[in-house]
Parts: sequence; C-alpha cells; structure tokens
Amino acid sequence: MAPDTNALEALHLTKIYKRGAEEILAVDDVSLTVRKGEFVSFIGPSGSGKTTLINILGCLDNATSGQLKISGKTVFSESTCLSETELTKIRRRVFGYIFQKFYLVPTLTVYENVLLPFAFFQKAEASADPMEILRFLGIDKRTSHRPSELSGGEMQRVAIARALVNKPEILLADEPTGNLDSKRSGEIGGILKRLNEKEGLTVLLVTHNPALAKVAGRTITLRDGKIAQAA
Amino acid sequence: MAKKINIYQVAYKNLLRKKTRTALTILGIGLSAWVLISLLGFNRGYESALNKDIDNMGFQVLVTAKGCPYEAATLMLKGGTGLRYMKESILADILKHKEVERLTPQLMAAVFDPNKGENGGINAYLGVEPTTFPAMKSYLKFKQGGWFTDPTALEAVVGYEAAELEQREVGDKMLIPEKNIEFKVVGILARSGTADDGTIFMPLKTVQKIFDKEGLITAAGIKVNKDANMTELENKLYDLPDVQVVSMAQVKSTIMSLVSTAKVMVFSIALIAILIAMLGVINTILMSVLERYQEIGIIKSMGAMPWDVFRMIWTETVILCLLGGVIGIGIAFALSKITDILIRRLLPYTPTGSLISIDSRLGFITLGVVLGIGLLSGIYPAWRAARVRPLESIRSEGD
Repeated sequence: MAPDTNALEALHLTKIYKRGAEEILAVDDVSLTVRKGEFVSFIGPSGSGKTTLINILGCLDNATSGQLKISGKTVFSESTCLSETELTKIRRRVFGYIFQKFYLVPTLTVYENVLLPFAFFQKAEASADPMEILRFLGIDKRTSHRPSELSGGEMQRVAIARALVNKPEILLADEPTGNLDSKRSGEIGGILKRLNEKEGLTVLLVTHNPALAKVAGRTITLRDGKIAQAA
Repeated sequence: MAKKINIYQVAYKNLLRKKTRTALTILGIGLSAWVLISLLGFNRGYESALNKDIDNMGFQVLVTAKGCPYEAATLMLKGGTGLRYMKESILADILKHKEVERLTPQLMAAVFDPNKGENGGINAYLGVEPTTFPAMKSYLKFKQGGWFTDPTALEAVVGYEAAELEQREVGDKMLIPEKNIEFKVVGILARSGTADDGTIFMPLKTVQKIFDKEGLITAAGIKVNKDANMTELENKLYDLPDVQVVSMAQVKSTIMSLVSTAKVMVFSIALIAILIAMLGVINTILMSVLERYQEIGIIKSMGAMPWDVFRMIWTETVILCLLGGVIGIGIAFALSKITDILIRRLLPYTPTGSLISIDSRLGFITLGVVLGIGLLSGIYPAWRAARVRPLESIRSEGD
C-alpha cells in the first residue's frame, strides 16, 4: 500500500462550545487537506475560529463532529473520540507547538530548555541534535544563557528549537510573532519557511499578520468558523 | 554538552525560581524535624536515664512509712520533703524473709541553709550504715578519702556536686545549720551521674542523734535474691504495719506517669508544628503550580503524561522535605544540650543522665517521617498539576 501523502485530512469538522444555555459555533463544517511538507497559514479576524481549528487539527482538543485523519489514521470521528492520554501519545509523536508566549523555564539555560521535552519523551528513533537545531536557528552562541538574558526574538527561536527537538512531523505555530516587532516577525517567518523548504517539515501557521501569512505556500482565510477563502 | 535532562533536574531547578519562598519552606520543615527528632530522642533518653538512675540505686525495693506513692518515688530517687518515719525494729521483720539478700536502713534529714546559693537552700543529710550501705552501692568511687568506719562518728562523705558547690576537701569541717554541730569531711565521692552526687552521707546513728530521731528511719533499701519472686516479696512486706513498698518497676511507672502529661503536651506541640509545616509545603507547591499553570500546559503539549507532571511536582515536594529534614536533624544534633535544658524546665522530675538520646538511627527514622509527610503533602498539588489540560492553559494565554 502506497504511503499516505496527506499529513492531515479534516472532513466536516464542527466545534460547538456551550456557555450556559448559549451555544457558540466556533468551527462550522470545515473540510481541508494538508499534504506532507506543505506550509499552510490560517488568517482571519479575531473570533473567526482559526485557533480553535488549529487546536483540533493539532490534537489539543476534540471536535464536536466531523472526522480528522493524521497520516491516514483516523484520530477523531463520530465513533472515535480519544482520551487525553491517547491525544498526548499522538501529540508527542506527531506535533511540535509554538505559541505567542514562549513559556521557557526561567531557571534552565537555553540548551536545557531545548532539551526539556526529552525529560518526558524521546522518540526511540534518532531525535534531532539540539546543537544542530540551535545552529540552524542562529542561537548556538547563547546556549548557556538564561531566558531572561535573551531578546523576544531569541526566546521564540529557543521555543522553536524546543518544538523541533523530538523531530515532529507537523509544526503548529499559533501567533508565534504576536509578541515581536515587525523585524523579528520577519525573521521568525523566514525560519518557518526555511524549516518547510529545507527540512520538508509540514507547517501550520495561525496569524493576524497578512505579511507573515504570505510566507506560506497556501493561505486559508476563516470567517465565522468557516473557510471563506483558500489561496 | 549533555544531551539529556531528567524530571528530577527540572524539579530541582523549578524550586530555584522563588528562592526566598523555598528557603522559608525548608526552614519550616527543618524546625518541625528538629522538634520531632528531639521529642523522639527525649522519649528514649528519658526512659534510659530513669532506668540508669534506678539501676544505680543499688537496691530493687524500698520500704518507707505509709504515705503518698509519688512522695515515696521521689524519696527513692532524690530525697524529697514531708518525711515520714518508721521504727528501726522493722528491719528485723524484713530480714526474716528469705527473698531478702541484703538490707540497708536510711534516715533522711533536711535543714534550711541560709548561706546556700543566693536565697538559701535545703541541705540534705542521709544517714546510712557504714557496714551495709557501701556494699550495696559498690559502684560509688572516691575522689578523696573513704567511708566513715565509726558508726557514731561526726563524719561525712560528700557527693561530687555537693563538694564542688561547697568547695570542700577531705579534712574540712562543715556546720549543720540550725543545729550548730560541726562534722568532719572524711571522703569526697567521684562523679556518679546519680542523685548521690548532691547528697551528704553521715553515719545513721549520728543523724538519728543530731535530729532527735533515735530508733527511727525513713526508708530501708532491700537487695533481693537473684531468683526471688518480687510480687510475692512485695505482698509479704505489705503485711508489715504502716509501710509502703516501692519496687523499682513501680518507681519507674510512677515517674513515667508523672511525666506523661508533659509528654502529651510536647507531643501535641510537635504534632501542631508538623501540621503547620505540612500546610506550608502544600501552600508553597500549590502556589508554584498555579503560577506555572500555562507552563505546565505547554509541558503537556510537548508530550508529558499526567504521571510525568505528577512526578515532577512530587519530586519538588520531596526535595523540600529532604533538605528541611536534613537541616532539622543537623540542628537537633548540634543543639541537643540546649534542648535538654529546655525540657528539664518543663518536667516535674528529671533523671540525672542525658534526657535527649539522638543517634543516626533516630535521624533516619525522622527523615523517613518527614519524607512521608512530604509525599503526603505533595499529593494534592501534584494531582492538580497532573490534571492541567494543555488546551485550558493555551486558552488562558491572554489572561
């Protein structure tokens, strides 16, 4: 059987939140496919459902209905709803995450922060060389520094290195430049693009920033929980 | 450069974030550990010191005039006040019993000495028989001189501490206040670590004469035959008129019952100290968990299982308790003498030996208890941390 070329496949995904008696439709019947090695950005106004969608795609949350396949394997459907432990097992093998805030451990050095995922999980197959990643990201001279001694851009690079150390198949970046100025945003965008082009990493990027969204090969615009435009 | 980091290293470094809070928590645990090991040491030391005092008495049974049992126990060990007297003729009746190996009569007399200390004090004179008493107290050694040989001589053997206090040497003359009678010091005892160190011994007949108690004694010490049935002997002695029989075991239980109230009090204080330390640990770790709520969520998104997070937080608790326990035990070893003095002030009667008996075994037991308490205290914060869902922490990102 030929290997599945799709990293992610979502069919009619819907997410409804309940706030008291009120029901909020955060993701409304979204279907999309992301191929392996593709760089897709999600853009849209606040409340358009892009973060909720990426959380479902990244196995941080379950959808209310629909179907989600990762590398051809169904992880969510009408009949399959994974427990938190099962979601963790998928997350640790498939995904690397970057968020707006960096959440580096202040008492650990840059190098130790990058190694942190190994304290909890290390793939049996060869994981990435932390120093090689740090060199790739241009922060190999800062390995013994504490996060408080770094700039915002450098901290986000450390967070990217931490997300890459277990060699994820898909990198999820949710507003990774939200705390950075335009110059640093451009640098992070460049890094994500290089990771996609040189390393063949599948990247899903959520951003408010249209300029940053352009680094992706494909941009999906969301509005009111629906895909408004795909380009 | 190391290519690994483990949960224990992460937990240790987490504690360095708020150094003052960590230090204060460790100090709290340390103080509790100090109290705990000191009390455990006291529990053991007091009983062993009491046993030593009783063993050093040289006799297993004391017969006194009928009165308060507590008074009799105190008399047996320290001398006591409110003396009651028995006729000396009772000795012959006691000796009739086959269980009695040896017998020594004693007459205690106490006089107020206005020149003793700053505000005056009581001088205790113990009249003993030169023929029977030294044989029964064979462990007593002399620093200078020896026992009086004449049963009616105006001579005295002075205990080590009494001689130090009065600055006396063999050949010195001493005066009995109120009676204005002079006697000569013929012996100074070496330190025995018993109540004998503070006693002035004189011949029984001399004390009877000086204090107008001829034919009377306050007590008779009995050394029992090896195979004798103690209970049987006690029952037989109780047949004698108006006497009280105090056995070694009774003295021990009487004294232990006297100190039991004080022990309950100090153990309650220790329990409260431990509970406060426990709450301190829970508070510190819980605060730390809540402050790192989002970070813990991110760690879980990296692939940490609930048990990994639980272990990390639990390890933090264990490190706090381990450090606190070691510090507290170290303090207890270093300050055991001061603790001894403080406890002596609390108790109605204290034996002469060391009250606090701490050794490495007790240290390990205390460390085990402190670690056990730490593990217990860490369960709730660790459970809270293990339950954090990555999504919740990410949602609260903007908070």
